[in-house]
Amino acid sequence: MLSVFFGQMADAIYNTSAYFQYDYEDSWITDPITREMIRDIDKSCVLDSGVIDSPVLGKIPPVQLSGGVKTLILVRFEKDKIFNASTCGDNCARWLLRIAENEDRTINLRHLMDFGSDPFEIKILNTGDIVRSMSELVPIAGLFV
Amino acid sequence: MKGSVKISVQAKRIRFDFTIRRNLTIVRGDSATGKTTLVDMIRQYVDNPSGSPVTVISDVPCAVLEGSLWKATLSGISGSIVFIDEGNDFVSSVDFARAIAATDNYYVIITRESLPALPYSVEEIYGIHYSGRYGSLRQEYNEFYRIYGDI
Repeated sequence: MLSVFFGQMADAIYNTSAYFQYDYEDSWITDPITREMIRDIDKSCVLDSGVIDSPVLGKIPPVQLSGGVKTLILVRFEKDKIFNASTCGDNCARWLLRIAENEDRTINLRHLMDFGSDPFEIKILNTGDIVRSMSELVPIAGLFV
Repeated sequence: MKGSVKISVQAKRIRFDFTIRRNLTIVRGDSATGKTTLVDMIRQYVDNPSGSPVTVISDVPCAVLEGSLWKATLSGISGSIVFIDEGNDFVSSVDFARAIAATDNYYVIITRESLPALPYSVEEIYGIHYSGRYGSLRQEYNEFYRIYGDI
């Protein structure tokens, strides 16, 4: 399940792009789910572990992926760390839910992310509540961001 | 500084055109819309005065503010448009709010966080969207749009 702590969190890694630069591994980039995330969010194609074909920027290294995708990759592979997912736009929300579908993940959000209209299950760590829709999430999360 | 400033940032493959109207502009929105690319291009231009593939057309200088030495850097910037990418947690500090209140710069801050210490208007919260190809077919053209519409 996805657990979210809303607001400032001392233990969370804030600058996810800087963290990604010296942390990512080649196998993370060629992972099938990563390839899908890059295709969906960045509209780009992984050619190999060090080269991604972007329709706008041309051939780029993984460090030049969008901030949102870099954070998603960190959330997927650095299971025990907590990242600032406010570096992710709403278009990353479904991927956060998917990554945490079968394995627990905790993220920090400093804004109200829109998790969409489909039902979901998110634990809000600030209060311990489990919410299943945006109408349940907003009144609680709004107290903290 | 007073009034609005038109800015064009362009390279071979990509171009951004936008107008900054107030001293505080917030940019947010979906991932992969070009927010960080915009700041990267401005940094490239500013850091390479002897020659850069990036062109910035603006009536006032542009600057990028980042990192732990932000306060010292800011003390040397005036009459400029200052861009701050996400990942700089100082933007939410009271210290930062105090520091920029004493300057005559305009600030473009990329963040999804609310910044309670800063007096910005919802009218000045923007996203970036793709607006087609400009000039040569290879150049993608992007511009700012008001996230909360015209109020």
